[in-house]
Amino acid sequence: MFGFFDSATQWILGLILLLSSLGVILLRKPVHASLSFLLTLLTLSIYYLQLDAHFISVMQVLVYAGAILVIFMFVIILFQDAYQEIEFTQPKSSKWILAMGFIFLIFGFSMFIYMILDLPSKFSTLSHDYGTVQSLGKALYLDFFIPFEAAILLFLVALIGALYIGKKVKKE
Amino acid sequence: MIYAITLGLSFPLLGFLYLMLSSHFTSRLKAGQIACATVFLSFLCFVGLVSAHFNSSEHYKTIKLFPWMHLGSIHSDISLHVDELSLLMALIITGVGFLIHVYSIGYMDHEKDATRYFACLNFFIFAMLLLVMSGSLIALFFGWEAVGLASYLLIGFWYHKDKAAAAATKAFVVNRIGDLGLLLGIIFTFYLFGTDNIIEISTRALTEYPIGTPVMTVLTLLYFWGATGKSAQIPLHTWLPDAMEGPTPVSALIHAATMVTAGVYLVVRLHPIFISAPFTLQVVSVIGGVTALFAALCGLGQSDLKRVLAYSTVSQLGLMFLACGAGAFYAAMFHLTTHAFIKALLFLSAGNVVHMLRGKTEMAEMGALANKLPWTQWLFLLGVLALAGIPPFAAFFSKDLILEEEYLSGFDILYYVGLAASVLTGIYLTRAYWLTFRGASHLSPDDEAHVHEAPKVMIFPVVVLGLLAILGGFLGFSFGSLPILETFLAKADVRITHEELISSEFFTPETIMAIIGAILGIAATSWIYYAYADKLTRPWRIFSNAFYFDACYSALIVRPLERLSSLFTNCVEPKFFEGSIHWAGQAAQLASAELQRVQSGQIRSYVAWMIAGASLLLIYFVS
Amino acid sequence: MNIIVTIIISLAMFGIGLIGVLSRRNALVFFLAIELMLNAANLLFVGFSKQWGNQIGLVWVFFILVVAAAEAAVGLAIIINLFRTKKVVDVDQYDSLRG
Repeated sequence: MFGFFDSATQWILGLILLLSSLGVILLRKPVHASLSFLLTLLTLSIYYLQLDAHFISVMQVLVYAGAILVIFMFVIILFQDAYQEIEFTQPKSSKWILAMGFIFLIFGFSMFIYMILDLPSKFSTLSHDYGTVQSLGKALYLDFFIPFEAAILLFLVALIGALYIGKKVKKE
Repeated sequence: MIYAITLGLSFPLLGFLYLMLSSHFTSRLKAGQIACATVFLSFLCFVGLVSAHFNSSEHYKTIKLFPWMHLGSIHSDISLHVDELSLLMALIITGVGFLIHVYSIGYMDHEKDATRYFACLNFFIFAMLLLVMSGSLIALFFGWEAVGLASYLLIGFWYHKDKAAAAATKAFVVNRIGDLGLLLGIIFTFYLFGTDNIIEISTRALTEYPIGTPVMTVLTLLYFWGATGKSAQIPLHTWLPDAMEGPTPVSALIHAATMVTAGVYLVVRLHPIFISAPFTLQVVSVIGGVTALFAALCGLGQSDLKRVLAYSTVSQLGLMFLACGAGAFYAAMFHLTTHAFIKALLFLSAGNVVHMLRGKTEMAEMGALANKLPWTQWLFLLGVLALAGIPPFAAFFSKDLILEEEYLSGFDILYYVGLAASVLTGIYLTRAYWLTFRGASHLSPDDEAHVHEAPKVMIFPVVVLGLLAILGGFLGFSFGSLPILETFLAKADVRITHEELISSEFFTPETIMAIIGAILGIAATSWIYYAYADKLTRPWRIFSNAFYFDACYSALIVRPLERLSSLFTNCVEPKFFEGSIHWAGQAAQLASAELQRVQSGQIRSYVAWMIAGASLLLIYFVS
Repeated sequence: MNIIVTIIISLAMFGIGLIGVLSRRNALVFFLAIELMLNAANLLFVGFSKQWGNQIGLVWVFFILVVAAAEAAVGLAIIINLFRTKKVVDVDQYDSLRG
């Protein structure tokens, strides 16, 4: 619908994404981290728009930013005093194992990047209703009906599970 | 004839099996009767064989029992070969054995476990018979080992006594060292001849190998090594004096009359092979002579009655080997026969004394027993005179024959050694007689009160042996014609080597020297002990400790072995073997403790491991 | 070029999320980093779907969204429960399953 902007937009959006992701993991207070996460989600939504995935971008805002992040906020506010105690206790995981994981991570990623640099980047022509709600809805309800229903069942189970786990144990 | 042989061989075996299996419900008297009966029946079988032998023309019988091994160039059957030599030995074994069985009924009258004793005694008779009647070396070796086993069982009959158990082990081990030589000899025989049939080897040895080849020398030295172990010659003689820890009838049968003569029997049986190795014959006579003199000197210094007799046995066996070494195989067998009678007589009379004193054998605690044990005393004196070589008793003829053959074969030094040993025989036996039966009494008061003459069941066999001691010499000697024994054994090719001995005068200078020496020795000793008994000091230590042979062996061989074994038990076994098992367990535990640290429960570490694994997989699949 | 940029950005987000998992000890930030990783995967799917012109990628993104929502709900319930037991939000203290 909107067409495709030039790469400059992609770069700017990418930058904002990276910065906000870094913010998620680096900010000290969990509230700040979750706000940074919100920024990430919104930027992602715009990125999806650029990639002509209209339905997905709206879903992203609705589900992720609207539901998941809200739950996160609730829990964070519930524990907003507890995070300070973390600094007073020693980390129990071995530093060396974490360092090893970090090194392997860097190594693996560099290798991966090195290999994908020569991928072809042609773009096929998109159908005129690519990414619209109608076509995706048709796909979901007609071609992928059973996974759709399974997802609904999954929701039901998760709902019941979350309710049960979060229940307070009555003290006798 | 075959039936007689097999019956004679199997009666003692059946007796052994029955007594062993029924030892719980067979009383002592019944066990003794059964044992005596089996041996007597065996004796009758062999007597029947002898009479059949005189009536028929064939003079030997070979029974092939079963083929044992036929592999390539080696053919071996287990067979029995009975000729005059075997018959003579069988008669001695069963005859003297029967008398000793009867004697044992009286000797073991206070013993709870007498059934085991009679079973082992029967087993010994069977094993010895198998040894002398075997026609193949493997069967002979089986009998050889079995008599060693019987000796072990009987020496250690009172196994709860430490000394007896140690003596039994020592006898078995020293015997085993000798058996190694015999086994090597048998293996070498298989290698050389491809068979172990004794007759075949004997006929082939002279034809295939000229006299003096090193191969024959080595073979015969190996056989003689085996004979040394069994017949207690230097250097494997140390077990025989200690073997006196067993009951006295055992000493009489096994260690005087029969088992220790197995070595002599081996040499005589294989004499064609020995003849073709003159060097070995020299070695045999030297060792025999040295042993004879050595044992006689040791016998002079013993304070234990049975040990005097044990050293006397060693000495006489040395004389027999001396004869074999000079080629006088007939003389050796003759002396073996007379010695069997006389030594059994001496041991059984000593057994009377020991039994009456309830097991004491130290001569320092005896003395002046002549009045209390008249029969025993006369019989012992008879044995002393007979063995010392006084005519006309038995050993005079056989010893004289040995010495004359020695002299005529040209070995002067060995003749004088044999003469000295004979004179010493008289001296130490007379000493033993005086210290036991005459002189001042050193008995303890309660011994003095109850010692009396032995019961008839113990006197009777000794009297029979005494008669044999008197008359036995005439088996091998007669005025004029050839004696019985000689004609008997001549058919087995065991002859006197020097023709002039057969029909010459009877009192050559050597003979007279021997007689005078013996008489002088006995007289001098008697006078010394009669007059100066109280003033005599203890005998020289070097004699009573047997020239420190035992001490040398103990220091050089036994104690290093004990230290080695204690090293293994205390150091190697706990540290290396148990330690390695322990360490294996520890290693597993350490490894698991280290691996346990991976499962720390920390989510972040798990994530790190997952990253590592994933990137490794990535690298693997992409590159 | 475009798809490569998308891939690189997605990889970077995923890597940052992974580093966040390794380094942060607060359970909630830990969880946020996991959600970040899921979003990175979503981005990749959408990008490739545009390149191939196939809508299956978008369908799959839909399902990932669904699963992420369910997982977030249940996970947060678990974290609340853990907090009630252990009284801390430090993931290093949640090690009862050690061996």
